[in-house]
Amino acid sequence: MRFYTQSFLYDDPWSIVSLAYLLRYPNPYSTHILSCDVISREVTPSGSLLTTRLILKTGSLPRWAPKGMIQRGESWVLEESEVDPLGKVMRCTTKNLDHVKVMRVEEHIHIRQTADGKTLQTTEAMFMSGFGWGLTKKIENYGLAKFKANLQRSREGFAVILNLIRQSRMQPM
Amino acid sequence: MSSSLAEECTPLKRKYDACFNAWFEGYLEPAVSASITPAQRTKFSQEKAAEFEQSCGQVWREYKDCVQRAVKEKGLDVLLDQARVENPLKEPPTDSRS
Repeated sequence: MRFYTQSFLYDDPWSIVSLAYLLRYPNPYSTHILSCDVISREVTPSGSLLTTRLILKTGSLPRWAPKGMIQRGESWVLEESEVDPLGKVMRCTTKNLDHVKVMRVEEHIHIRQTADGKTLQTTEAMFMSGFGWGLTKKIENYGLAKFKANLQRSREGFAVILNLIRQSRMQPM
Repeated sequence: MSSSLAEECTPLKRKYDACFNAWFEGYLEPAVSASITPAQRTKFSQEKAAEFEQSCGQVWREYKDCVQRAVKEKGLDVLLDQARVENPLKEPPTDSRS
């Protein structure tokens, strides 16, 4: 298993970052997202919003991947989020549903308001392969490297959405 | 707004997303603070759920029915059930960084 963690501080208030997070697709950097659907959503008795989304992504395989390791280059991803507007905390977990024998990727996002009105996001990601054939470590390392390389793009995509929301807030109603 | 996994659900999804987003913006900035009592929380929850039902309930049910039908047709319900059963990692392990 490989593990990755990172924190990021936004100057924006929590409500704007959380809104941007749920609205992050599509953006100019998210062409790998083919579809995104809400499959369940409810407000809990304590006032939190629980959402489950089903996302279809395309991906590419490394050149060293054995033939037939993956039948198709698409992957279904399940995203489960919880938003608590009173406590100003948002949690989100994503994981792939297929190709799990080759590699399971789980990402945990935590977005919360800091004491000075900024917003702290922590990201934790895990890469676990059960593939064997002497490739387990190589696959996990590849997953981690890909994830790191894509982080910059996803941050830029997220920044586009954040900017759109900031701009819309500045317009008089 | 992005597409639905089934082409026939995309128009409903867009209608639903637009409705939800308008509701969600207000939901994210509640007039009450975090220090409220459990009873006040319940009241907040009921008010927000009622608000959502009134403005988006109808389109939500239409969209959800459409997607659930498509999910079954594509056999994705099996994949979703498996994910729920297995769900091996609830919390990230902290001592296995290698």
